[in-house]
Amino acid sequence: MLKSIIYKEWLKTRWFIIAFATLGTLVVGYIFLSVQHNFKFSDANSYWYTLLFMKLKYFGYLKFVPIAGALAISIAQFFPETVDKRIKLTFHLPLNENRVLLIMMLFGTLVLLASYLLFLSIFVAFSALYFPSNIIIPALITITPWFLAGFAAYYFVALIVLEPVWKYRFLYILVAATIVPLFFEQAATGSYATANPVLVIIVILSSISLLFSGFRFRKGEM
Amino acid sequence: MVKLSRYFLVILAVVGFAIVLPKLYWMAFAKPIRAPYVMYSCIDNNFVILRSGNGVKRTNIKGEELTREEYEQKLPLLFVRQLLLNKTMPDSINGVEMDMHDITINRSTFRVRPKEVNAPQPTLFPLFESQSGRANLSMPPDFFRITWRMEFIDAATNKINEEKSRMFSAVLYKHGFKFPATTIEGIPTTRKSCDEGYFIIDSANQLFHIKMIKGEPYVHKIETPTGLTFKTIRCVDFKNKRYYAYLFSTNNEIYILTQYDYELIKFPIENLNPQIAEIKIYSDLFNFNVISITDGEMHVTALNRDYQKVDEFIEKWPVRSQRTEGKIAQFIFPAQISLTNKTSGFVRFFVTPPESFYWLFLSLLLAAVHFVLLKQKRVKITKHIIDFIIIAITGIFGFIAVNIFPNKFYD
Repeated sequence: MLKSIIYKEWLKTRWFIIAFATLGTLVVGYIFLSVQHNFKFSDANSYWYTLLFMKLKYFGYLKFVPIAGALAISIAQFFPETVDKRIKLTFHLPLNENRVLLIMMLFGTLVLLASYLLFLSIFVAFSALYFPSNIIIPALITITPWFLAGFAAYYFVALIVLEPVWKYRFLYILVAATIVPLFFEQAATGSYATANPVLVIIVILSSISLLFSGFRFRKGEM
Repeated sequence: MVKLSRYFLVILAVVGFAIVLPKLYWMAFAKPIRAPYVMYSCIDNNFVILRSGNGVKRTNIKGEELTREEYEQKLPLLFVRQLLLNKTMPDSINGVEMDMHDITINRSTFRVRPKEVNAPQPTLFPLFESQSGRANLSMPPDFFRITWRMEFIDAATNKINEEKSRMFSAVLYKHGFKFPATTIEGIPTTRKSCDEGYFIIDSANQLFHIKMIKGEPYVHKIETPTGLTFKTIRCVDFKNKRYYAYLFSTNNEIYILTQYDYELIKFPIENLNPQIAEIKIYSDLFNFNVISITDGEMHVTALNRDYQKVDEFIEKWPVRSQRTEGKIAQFIFPAQISLTNKTSGFVRFFVTPPESFYWLFLSLLLAAVHFVLLKQKRVKITKHIIDFIIIAITGIFGFIAVNIFPNKFYD
């Protein structure tokens, strides 16, 4: 049963996952193509200087990549369930309804985690070719909230898409609109160091949110 | 688990609204608070004040209004070019002949804001060649960090320059440097008149001056009074070359470090804290004006060139929370959260707790409204106790949150 559910999630999302993994890898590739271009055309020491003291973010292109993928995968995964209320079929399976929803959520989370780890490992590996840890660690601190935003957005989209009443969908969007920008404050490299642990808690709090709209869906809230 | 997911969502909504609603409120109703521009006049031997806002108003310390020309004549060293143009520049002031060269080299401006002090600091710096024999400074090919030793990393190869690292580390070690460094302060730019290297505090709170002269390390351990530690060191590049830096101690004192003889001179000013106050220091041929501006207070101290206090000016004004719009905010919001703050360069969840209990009125009123709404729906009130507690504690934020995520488990 479990395998079948996972296979169903895979069938819904596979092309989005493959497209996102490819796109994300290409963006990371582009970042380092641009870095090596800058190393060649302006001196390496000048480039380091602009990163350290002129607030240049060489990884800036990554900013909205994690959230874009999360939105795509979340919609691909949950929107088909709302068409003709197909998810009700899932709820008729001999499985605990919350457990099914949590498996779906866990599938999406693991897919996002795997994609993000892929991007991050390529990012760190290439960064280590050009920069010392004194540049890489602040860069990682800065991009962490962008990746956390991906998870938060995934959970909020699941919540919003599964909600059966349009009025509440709109209200959930308002709540999401107060939370998601917290991950994207304009700030100097490294300045999210103190906020990141709280953002992790926010992601954890939002992680089971689809159980709420799933419950309302099951109840036939109109 | 489903109930838990609802409470998690309510908490998230409370946090989200506690950030957004006060932000929108202040965008709509905040009024600017402008600190006056106060300078010590070497003509009056007293302060003159310029206030902007509803038109510009210039006065002396007694409140007598000054014309623009009169005001400029009270501050001849600041408006020297204008006075020369008007032909009203005096030949001498306080018995000192006015010489353009002296005026220019003794004039300096310095500013440091809490946002710069409480901020992520770089840990990698370029060490310039201080005596290259060239008129302009050039960016070195490597950058240094001080961890368990002083390491130079070549930018082109991203490899450690072992020879240079060993040479500098050995000299530092010989001078009693205790690795790693806790603070590295300098002026890491080629756009300065000359290079004076870096001032570095080691892990034993010892202060060192380090620079590179003809490729060789120059290290000087600076004697500091026992127990004196610094919050921040702000290096300066002033024309008169009298001192290297302004140093702000952890007990809120300010020092200057004289050039070449490394004498630490304390200014007779207390409570100067660059972590919470914007500090400005203007100096000229006769005086230093040391200005500290916090949220609700301005403190200006005038010193003479022998660093003795000659006068001081204090002005206080109601802070945001004490003004009408602040009191209304205290009635509406139980607390306010902001991710940024004007005293910090870090992104953090800054919670401003309420200064009064006015918000309780609205919280209880909203709890009553919630009670009426539930009564109309004929639901069991006892099943909604936690929602009432949430509204009572988080006021308007909680009221909106529990209604966006309705508690329908018991319908």
